[in-house]
Amino acid sequence: MKKQAQIIILLLLSFFTASAQESPYQKAMKKEIAKLTSTDSLPVLQQSANAFGRIAELNPGEWLPVYYQGLAYTFQAMDKSLSLDRKDEALAKADELAQKADALSKNNAEIVALQGFVLMAKLNADAANRGQSLSGPVLQTFGKARAMDPKNPRAYALTAQMEYGMAKFFGSGTEKACGYAKESLAIFASQDEPALKAALMPTWGKGLAEQMARSCQ
Amino acid sequence: MKIGFTLLLLILTSAAIAQISISGRVSDHKGQAVPGVNIYLKGTYDGTTSGADGRFAFTTTEAENQTLTVQAIGFKSQELVLELRGQPITANIVLAESINQLNAVTISAGAMEAGDEKKSVVLKPLDIVTTSGAMGDITGALLTLPGTSTVGNDGRLFVRGGDASETSIFIDGLQVGNAFGSTTSNVPTRNRFSANLFKGSFFSTGGYSAEYGQALSSALALNTVDLPLRNQGDVSIMSLGGGYTQTLVKDNRALTASANYYNLAPYQSLVKQNFDWEKAPSSWDSEISLRRKWGNAVTGKAGFIKAYFHTEGSNMAIWQKIPGNDGRGDRVKLNNRYHYGNVSFRHSGSKGWLFYGGAALSDNRDAIQLNADDIRQVNRIFHSKAVTVKDFSAQFSLKNGLEYYAKTYSEALPGQNLKRQFTDHQFNHFLEATYYFSNRLIMVGGLRSGHSTLAKETWFTPRFSVAYKLDNQGQFSFAAGKFKQLAEEKLRVRQTDLKNSAATHYILNYFTVNNNRTFRAEAFYKNYDNLVTYKGLASDPENLALNGAGYARGVDFFLRDKQTIKDTDFWITYSFVDSKRRFAAYETKVQPSFAPRHNGSVVVKHFVTAMKSLLGTSWSWNSGYAFNDPNLPGEMQRKTKPYSDLSLSISYLPKPNVILHVACSNVLGRQNVFGYQYATQPDESGSYASRPVGQGAKRFLFAGLFITLSKDKKANQLNNL
Repeated sequence: MKKQAQIIILLLLSFFTASAQESPYQKAMKKEIAKLTSTDSLPVLQQSANAFGRIAELNPGEWLPVYYQGLAYTFQAMDKSLSLDRKDEALAKADELAQKADALSKNNAEIVALQGFVLMAKLNADAANRGQSLSGPVLQTFGKARAMDPKNPRAYALTAQMEYGMAKFFGSGTEKACGYAKESLAIFASQDEPALKAALMPTWGKGLAEQMARSCQ
Repeated sequence: MKIGFTLLLLILTSAAIAQISISGRVSDHKGQAVPGVNIYLKGTYDGTTSGADGRFAFTTTEAENQTLTVQAIGFKSQELVLELRGQPITANIVLAESINQLNAVTISAGAMEAGDEKKSVVLKPLDIVTTSGAMGDITGALLTLPGTSTVGNDGRLFVRGGDASETSIFIDGLQVGNAFGSTTSNVPTRNRFSANLFKGSFFSTGGYSAEYGQALSSALALNTVDLPLRNQGDVSIMSLGGGYTQTLVKDNRALTASANYYNLAPYQSLVKQNFDWEKAPSSWDSEISLRRKWGNAVTGKAGFIKAYFHTEGSNMAIWQKIPGNDGRGDRVKLNNRYHYGNVSFRHSGSKGWLFYGGAALSDNRDAIQLNADDIRQVNRIFHSKAVTVKDFSAQFSLKNGLEYYAKTYSEALPGQNLKRQFTDHQFNHFLEATYYFSNRLIMVGGLRSGHSTLAKETWFTPRFSVAYKLDNQGQFSFAAGKFKQLAEEKLRVRQTDLKNSAATHYILNYFTVNNNRTFRAEAFYKNYDNLVTYKGLASDPENLALNGAGYARGVDFFLRDKQTIKDTDFWITYSFVDSKRRFAAYETKVQPSFAPRHNGSVVVKHFVTAMKSLLGTSWSWNSGYAFNDPNLPGEMQRKTKPYSDLSLSISYLPKPNVILHVACSNVLGRQNVFGYQYATQPDESGSYASRPVGQGAKRFLFAGLFITLSKDKKANQLNNL
């Protein structure tokens, strides 16, 4: 009886440890996601892109490492200190990765939002020359992401940023932009962040939404 | 037993902590540190990123043979096999540069690109409408670029001492016959195609690729938009007419249809004209374009098919004064019908294969009534093309293309029951190899061969270009090549066995783009051989032969700056051309009328956010046109006063989807003269009477309202314009 109890306890223990024991993939992903979303240092972003590249290579069926790798390159291109050439280089890579992620996971609003983000970064890199030709495609891509998933807070936050910039340019009202920012914040508030984090799903963008909401005040 | 267990545990832990450190430095071939490099053991999570000094270090618990992978943007990936035997490993890695299309040198000799994103662009599609003197005409905007000269009584493209017929125009790689509207002499024409069809263009003023032929001076390749963004309707209401365009987009397909009508009569009734119009020009056109895309660029297999049809009609009747004659002159009535259609495709396959090509047909019919005489001219050009490009490596690619042309031309005098015509079949092959020695040095060599069944001639024209990029963003390029062209239809129909005229180009170019400033300088020498000469008048040439020759040489400069002045974009162009040729009815080598020696232009655009407006001005100038005065000895001895035109425009965006564009050309009201016409016979005093060839009106005022209707209220026509 005592032995049986021991075996059961042992079995249970091993079961628990096994379930609590994260796979190397999850462990590596969690570490890198935390790093990526908490930095704006160029070398760290490059480290992060490289790390996701390594993870992606070992897990060729997963879209998330490719997605985060693309995101890391997009964040790099937002750095004002880089030359236009370097920004375009990073964005060409980001674009390639976003397309690769899209091939791995079709009709994924998160990936479409990233594609829009890459386009927006391209526009921002040389707004005077690219504003006219790219603002349409940027808004359209974000619109597509919102239509695919009306609860994607990043698609709303990025739309807010784009609309805000355009409203400033045309000298028109920012109500539309602010509406998107508010909507984004509401979605962020309703989400179970720890659960998403545990599932390695994207949670970034809240800072951007808050910043947009502040600009609106 | 207990001891044994402990031992086992010890062994296990020691194995677990048997970490091997791998460290080293990554540098490029010059020994400079490469930061941000991804260095890892293939198939494991173990790896790191090199630091600012190119150094890296990481540990691994892996054992035995492992592959170390080294990757960085802009460099070729490297793999090294490491033997992991408990000893720390030091690896110093030298990375080789990879060819990067984004930063690599491009051939810029003779070439001026227009597009949206590429950095080498000189002019953007948007510039075509916002350049105030252009009035929405593609050619008008190109005339503010170096190497061109404004010939205000013609309206076509004259490049570097070349006649307008020496420029060939292509849409999606396929030749467009009669790209300019039919007109009567000394009444300027416009490009038939609306600027909003195109997403970009490649304008070459010489030394162009072996892909283009039958153009002695210049090639203009226009590329149509791919998939439009959204469903939308575009309304345009202009002082000379109006139109509507509907775009429908679904998934990977799109359809655009448009119809336009223009009539200058109401405008001309308000503004006094120097021309004696009996019936002001009026025209209509309609277009349909269809697009379909397939595949996915990531999987490597993707393609695009485009079909485009354009049809139009125009009418005008004008009285043209005859020098030395007091009457109203000759009455010219012109009725034109024009059709153009093309189907083009491109498909990128796996393993570096690219295929493109298509077929195009243009059909131009002019019914002319010159006083009582009826003249009918029909010009038809069929062009088909198939090209394969194979990238053998990042360094080397080979382009191989075949073309077939069928050209038919006829002219008839129905009243006299006279008709003459010809049909020519032309076969061309071109081969072009591109080799990147590095990101800094590129070389392109090509050979184009052709055969005309009518001229019974086979020809080979070699082309070569090389470009080298300097440390400071700037680059030098050089291009040379031979170019052949058969005579214009109107001449060829009189003597169908005329063989090719030839030109040889040498071009040296310096080009730099930095921080929103573009500077371009080019020197060129062009040699002409076997130009067509004849006796008598251009309207009735006799004794056609290939006895002409000539040259054009010069330099031109272009500076565009969007940086220095806030919200302002401006460009300055200066071209010098020294051209002399014996051709047409010229007896000696002289400066042709269409090649002013000094040409300049300044274009300024200033965005005023508070007014939601783009203000524009452009000034173009040249040193005057040579002309022949029969009262003096010699040929082409005189020159008109300099040409000058200052234009102003404003584009106002009251709402994002509404644009009001108002433009006025020649605001200073200068009476520009493009040459003089002389009587064919001297008067009683023995001198030839003359009259100046001038402008239709002092100024031209254009006003247009462009409204876009779409779900996305922000969409406007500026994108397309």
